Amino acid sequence: MIISRRVFVKSGGLALVSFGLDPLFLARAAFATNRLSGYPPNRPVLVCLFQRGAVDGLNMIVPHGDALYYRERPRIAVPATDVIDLDGYFGLHPRLAPLKQWWDAKSLAAIHAIGSPDASRSHFDAQDYMEAGTPGVKATPDGWLNRYCQHDRQHADTPFRAVAFGPQLPRILAGSAPSLAIDDLQAFGLRAPRLQPAARDRLTRAFEQLYAGSATGLLSSSSQEAFHAVQMLQQLDLAEYRPANDAAYPRGRFGKAMLEIAQLIKADVGVQLAFADVTGWDTHVNQGASEGLLATRLGEFGQALAAFAQDLGEKLRDVVVLTMSEFGRTVRENGNSGTDHGHATAMLVLGGPVNGGTVLGRWPGLDPAQRFEGRDVQVTTDFRDLFAEILARHLGARDLSAVFPGFTPDPGRFPGAIRG
Amino acid sequence: MKTLVVPPLVTALLLAASVGAGQQPPVLTPRDSAFHALNRLAYGPRPGEVERVAQEGVMRWIDRQLAPDQIADGDRAAREREFRVLHYDRGDLAQLYLDAQRERRERKADTTADQTPGPVEQQGRRLAGQLAELAVVRATISERQLYEVMVDFWTNHFNVFLGKGADRFLLPDYVEHVIRPHALGRFEDLLIATAESPAMLFYLDNWESVALGLNENYARELLELHTLGVDGGYTQQDVINVARIFTGWSIKRPRQGGDFEFHESVHDEGEKQVLGVGFQASHGMDEGIRLLKLLANQPATMHHVSQQLCERFVSDDPPDGCVDDAVAAWRRSHGDLRQVLRAIFTSPDFWAPGTLGGKVKTPLEFVVSAARAVGADPDTNPRLAQLVARLGEPLYLHVAPDGYPEKQDAWVNSGALLDRMNAAVALAAGNVPGLVVHLDSIVSPTADADRLVAALDERILGGTLSPNTRKVLREQLADVGDPLQARALAVGLAIGGPEFQRQ
Repeated sequence: MIISRRVFVKSGGLALVSFGLDPLFLARAAFATNRLSGYPPNRPVLVCLFQRGAVDGLNMIVPHGDALYYRERPRIAVPATDVIDLDGYFGLHPRLAPLKQWWDAKSLAAIHAIGSPDASRSHFDAQDYMEAGTPGVKATPDGWLNRYCQHDRQHADTPFRAVAFGPQLPRILAGSAPSLAIDDLQAFGLRAPRLQPAARDRLTRAFEQLYAGSATGLLSSSSQEAFHAVQMLQQLDLAEYRPANDAAYPRGRFGKAMLEIAQLIKADVGVQLAFADVTGWDTHVNQGASEGLLATRLGEFGQALAAFAQDLGEKLRDVVVLTMSEFGRTVRENGNSGTDHGHATAMLVLGGPVNGGTVLGRWPGLDPAQRFEGRDVQVTTDFRDLFAEILARHLGARDLSAVFPGFTPDPGRFPGAIRG
Repeated sequence: MKTLVVPPLVTALLLAASVGAGQQPPVLTPRDSAFHALNRLAYGPRPGEVERVAQEGVMRWIDRQLAPDQIADGDRAAREREFRVLHYDRGDLAQLYLDAQRERRERKADTTADQTPGPVEQQGRRLAGQLAELAVVRATISERQLYEVMVDFWTNHFNVFLGKGADRFLLPDYVEHVIRPHALGRFEDLLIATAESPAMLFYLDNWESVALGLNENYARELLELHTLGVDGGYTQQDVINVARIFTGWSIKRPRQGGDFEFHESVHDEGEKQVLGVGFQASHGMDEGIRLLKLLANQPATMHHVSQQLCERFVSDDPPDGCVDDAVAAWRRSHGDLRQVLRAIFTSPDFWAPGTLGGKVKTPLEFVVSAARAVGADPDTNPRLAQLVARLGEPLYLHVAPDGYPEKQDAWVNSGALLDRMNAAVALAAGNVPGLVVHLDSIVSPTADADRLVAALDERILGGTLSPNTRKVLREQLADVGDPLQARALAVGLAIGGPEFQRQ
């Protein structure tokens, strides 16, 4: 079943799409399918995952070769015997063990001591800056992923170009370029349990006409994106999806989001950018070491990433997964066996194009003299250098200064996350 | 053409506002003003309510809403009594929580046993469901609408996450005895009540913060979110000193749902400075009270909270004028929230033509206004709360301390819009199980499209129905012969359509 490609161009918040009677829409798909053709199957894909709450980079990518690490964290350091060694100095938290095979296959890299040039220790400010892509500037109206979409129109031929998984569209995708928020892929669309498909389609069309003619502003553009996406999803057999290669996603929101991202990528509906949140990193109290609060969160996180890579199989060749978090946590544990808001953290990149098997970035060390304000890991890589590298070298973005206003990208500062 | 009979006070303000610009005063009919006020100070009109408020006079209605104690509210009070969650205090709920945990542990340990949750666990889940539904029911049926709107505002401003440990049993008490008593009182009293509440002390970890093991979590959010705002001019050192001042503010036997308790022995006794103000050594708990009063009366706090109130009541991006009016009233009245709100409701910005219909409803506002529009009579069954959750706003379950966002960008997206349409169709068709709706209060069953459309415009949409919506509704109704079906379809489309998403 081939779906027609429709021009999906939007400027100034108005989508220039006509919503006439589309025969494709009223005719139910004759054959359910797992794939739609019409989009180049090898389109590069970027999956961004936000660890909201500020992940403790030091217990995720552990500097187990540093005695200071153990001295500063008598109750919560991960014992060297439990760490999965990566390079003699750094190692993975034991609960990230499922990711080790991707490290060994050189498809996984970590960037340490990365973060914002802005010193804020407010979750909300720091998340806002990281998603807006403009540290220190609050007035930025849109997110950097959306600005990338605004400047690269080449891929704007599908409503699935940029998809966020969750009930709300995140700040990183806010802006004038179209993007979708999907909370539950299978339930996306009008549901009318007692109605026949024909009646449901009719209801869908009625709402489509209501919004096409009467809605203004954000209500108008969002509804147009919605109805176009509903049309395309109707051609896919979503209920029958089985992950490939025995991939086992963890239960819960995050595992489900990763499964649905894999499903959409494999369906060739033209996904270029996907986004999901993973929460629970604000470990002020009893964060634990090899076991405990943080270990549980890392376990789910690592299992979902590994399942995703497994499930994509060959497709991982075109995909880069980037994890981010608003800041790191204090080097020293606090009075409640937890950690408070810090500065630099660690981020992961996973995928075929990744220059894997190394910890990237300049490591400033844990010595108090090297710390930010005497307490936190110093930022030696501006997060925009990593984001810009991925946009340029993986997605082929050309106008990086438009994506990160006020920032001059310099390939000399790129951490080297993408293979040349 | 509707006649121009604007309430006298509003007219005066509009004239005053427009004299300088040399413009004509905007035309607001009494019905327009009533619809606007009902959309902002209330959770939307019930059928017929626009007429009633217009007849009473919108300013008189607003003044009544500002004095909720004088408004008879028997239906709400009667319905509340059906909510068993209100019959338990913190201690009872803590005990229930412990019992449920034990029951669960025993069930998991015995692999041969039936793995369906036991009676105590089920009771716990029912009560949790009731808690969220209670908020929705109050918002739907209470006559004290502005009061309920403010309860929601403060619940988000002083957000506590129900899913965090002891907050599962501390939160109901927090809503009843901290937020609700102060929702239209003085800001300072509300601030102190939240600071001393076991729910907040637990949520932001302050109960464990001691002189030799400082936890900055509450201190930071107190400055950033509750009072000064992120640009309020404080430093990291201020955050640390605020945390030192609150060392020892703790909970008596937290696992048993205990009260606030000050622990002198772990309080940091040293001298401190916050915002350049000195706090002498060894003043124990008084330091914290003094600090909260200082913070409550800072200009940055007045501005930050007034800005948020104007975002809620006026516009996602409110003009400086109404914020300044609110700040001035705050200063005059020492933070009497009724005076602050009154200043906003009498500000020309509140009645400006661009303000009307200028905001998009949050999921809670959408569901409650829809329930009110269809004359729903919700009970303790958590159906409406589940709808609110499905649209992205599960009540009391916002993890981060900033509470649910107010602005449209957070709520308007393709997936959420489809879900609103689904909710509208289900509500109108009576397909929300356990929820009784009274479409008769809008219009009696008829297949007469003109009559249906006119009734919807008048009784649900406040006269905002667009020509396109009228046309689409007529087309859809053209070949529906059954009067009940026609009415349900028309109501579903009206509530799921674009006009109803706005307020």
